[in-house]
Amino acid sequence: MSVDVCEAPHCQLVCENSSFLDEENSLVSLVQQLHFNYKVSLLIPDCSSAPSHLDSVINSFSSFVLIKNMPVSEFIDKDFLETAVYPGSVCALSYRTRIGEDNCVALMPNGRLRLSLDRHSYHLLGIEGKVSKFRSKGRHIVSVDLTDSSMAPGGRGYDRLLSGLTCRLPLTSDFLLSHQQGVQSCLKSLLSRYDWSELRPEVSTKVLHQLTCPSDLGSCDAYSVMDWLGAVDAGISSSIGSSSSFLSTYTCPGPQRMATTALSISVSGFLLPHHVQILIMEVRQFLEQSSSPWASLTVHGFTDNVVSCCENEHGRLRGGVNFYTLLMSKGHDYKLLIVTGSHDSCSP
Amino acid sequence: MSVFMDLNLSYTEDKSSLQRLIETAAQLGYSTVAINYTFELTKKKKEVPKPAQIKELFEQLPIVQGRSRPIRVLNRLTVVMSESSHFRSTAPEYRHFDILALQPTSEKLFHAACMTYDVDIICVIVTEKLPFHFKRGSVNGAIDRGVMFEISYAAAIRDSTMRRYTIANAVNLVERSKGKGMIISSAAERALELRGPYDITNLALLFGLTDQTAKEAVSSTCHSVVRHAETRRTGSGIVCTTKVCTETSDQQGAPVDADTCEAPAAKKHKTAASEGVTAEEGGAKATSAL
Amino acid sequence: MKGVSTQKKSTGYQRVVLKNSAPVLENESTRLSAVEFKQFIITGLKILYGEVGAALTFDVLKYDEDSRTAFLRVPSRGLVKLWSSLTLLGSYQDQACAFRILQVSPFLLALTGNSRELQLD
Repeated sequence: MSVDVCEAPHCQLVCENSSFLDEENSLVSLVQQLHFNYKVSLLIPDCSSAPSHLDSVINSFSSFVLIKNMPVSEFIDKDFLETAVYPGSVCALSYRTRIGEDNCVALMPNGRLRLSLDRHSYHLLGIEGKVSKFRSKGRHIVSVDLTDSSMAPGGRGYDRLLSGLTCRLPLTSDFLLSHQQGVQSCLKSLLSRYDWSELRPEVSTKVLHQLTCPSDLGSCDAYSVMDWLGAVDAGISSSIGSSSSFLSTYTCPGPQRMATTALSISVSGFLLPHHVQILIMEVRQFLEQSSSPWASLTVHGFTDNVVSCCENEHGRLRGGVNFYTLLMSKGHDYKLLIVTGSHDSCSP
Repeated sequence: MSVFMDLNLSYTEDKSSLQRLIETAAQLGYSTVAINYTFELTKKKKEVPKPAQIKELFEQLPIVQGRSRPIRVLNRLTVVMSESSHFRSTAPEYRHFDILALQPTSEKLFHAACMTYDVDIICVIVTEKLPFHFKRGSVNGAIDRGVMFEISYAAAIRDSTMRRYTIANAVNLVERSKGKGMIISSAAERALELRGPYDITNLALLFGLTDQTAKEAVSSTCHSVVRHAETRRTGSGIVCTTKVCTETSDQQGAPVDADTCEAPAAKKHKTAASEGVTAEEGGAKATSAL
Repeated sequence: MKGVSTQKKSTGYQRVVLKNSAPVLENESTRLSAVEFKQFIITGLKILYGEVGAALTFDVLKYDEDSRTAFLRVPSRGLVKLWSSLTLLGSYQDQACAFRILQVSPFLLALTGNSRELQLD
């Protein structure tokens, strides 16, 4: 399988046409790779309400926990390691920290703890790391595999990290935490020590009427598809001008048709890849039975995610994934649009 | 890159407008700001101003946008210098300020400021045509000593003539310094004259900075200035170790109380931006020469 | 098994979208229609870059009159020009104003999924 990568000023758009039946399709690994999902949005044309089984999947995204002011050293607490890290079922990301500005921390289900530190903190911690390639100088990425034998409690590496995180650099932060078997039951002792709150992912469902769609979305070029989906998401479609309009020359790409209704659903929070996977399966099944010609699913990662600014394991996509869109059509074909690299983001 | 800073918010007597200025800066994502007091000897007022207590302004400092920590507010004094006697490096009044800046108005004074005066920032005039040319030697001398140059942008928002001067003088400086050792701050008097850090990195491209140096001009170079100021205040070249008891996140680069670690000046050290000048590691208070 | 085809994109032309909280005006009651809004930005471009700047094409994809928030779209080569002219616009009809840029991205789709907007308490 070949994947072509095109380079744009600040990011790349990778476009891939493949089939679910292709055993080598990269979809599963891609979904698993993006651990920290912020938002999933789904657009289905010619559909006015989600069937019950799709609805239940959408509402089954597991809840997550926001813990305030927790020291990072809690992640290498013996108890925590045994109940959460070794079984490989926990995900954590520092909240209200900005990559490039603050020290950011992420704990992945595979037991890797990643810290993005400024130079000063990096020297204080005293654990070897790499200079960040994607952010400016002075920023270091420290990556520790907590499942490694040297990181077992009592081991040399463990002691060093523990003293680093408790004495030299007692880093604390707010954390978003998610556990496959439910945070509350599995991490009782941890939660009892801190101020925390349980949160449910937010689901919003909108039915769009008289939506102008490209009649053949699959044949449009990737940029226009992305733009069009973005326009629908942002509610721009209704005010789309003609090419001669003073305000905006944006038009729906390609030959158009009118969809009487379209369903737009979004889920946002701290979402696990596992649930995204289930949702994709469910949408596929739904497509087989319904009259909708296609469905699009967009998954946005967290912007301030330490993992996406590192070389990821596959080494194929530089800079990690920021978001991807999956266009599923009837049958088993799909088109995958992946945006990677540090897209210039600027927030208020 | 470190956190964003705006090291020049103009001080105004009006308390509520000063509060609004700081609140807006926090909303825009600045983690550290400095309130600037300008002192010019030629004016009627002959006394160095005393900085207002931050505690009197806010009971609780505003939270930085998207973060859970409050904004950090410093005090800064800018001495406008048209004669060399205007700046007295040992003046005790200067001690009340965290950051010391100098605005030289002639080439000779500019050179002296770059090469000898113990300050943190040299302001580049943006409200009039530059009365002299920057010399590469002076500029490099300042950068080597860890003294940074400042361009402020509020004047460019206020008036189109000033805009021309701002851009021209900034381009002039960048040609000499290649964009190194430069900070961009607002010098805003009102909240509406403030712009976000990303706006400034984009604006800095007009001054001839690269993407990298433009980002540094509102973040890491400012950080170096604050560090330089801390070192200067604690006596040049003295390592100051203070005990840290609470979270580091707040403590990082927190101003060291000058009175508690006063020590005789030892060696003059070159770049105060160097690491570990104020090591915040455990242990009791101790001072030792570098 | 089906064959896999790949699509290659040319990199020459790229759009950048700005999510733009339009002018914070001194006098909150001043209303600005979409046309006035675009005209105002063009004026800003013209002040800073002259006729060449005024000729820069950009789209106001969406404008909300109440919050004065807009989505702007501009070719990537015009981004620095448009952005800097917005930064330096300081007054509208003799009252102070400021543009606050909320987000910039090469993809419109990225603007609706900004995790920094996640407010949990």
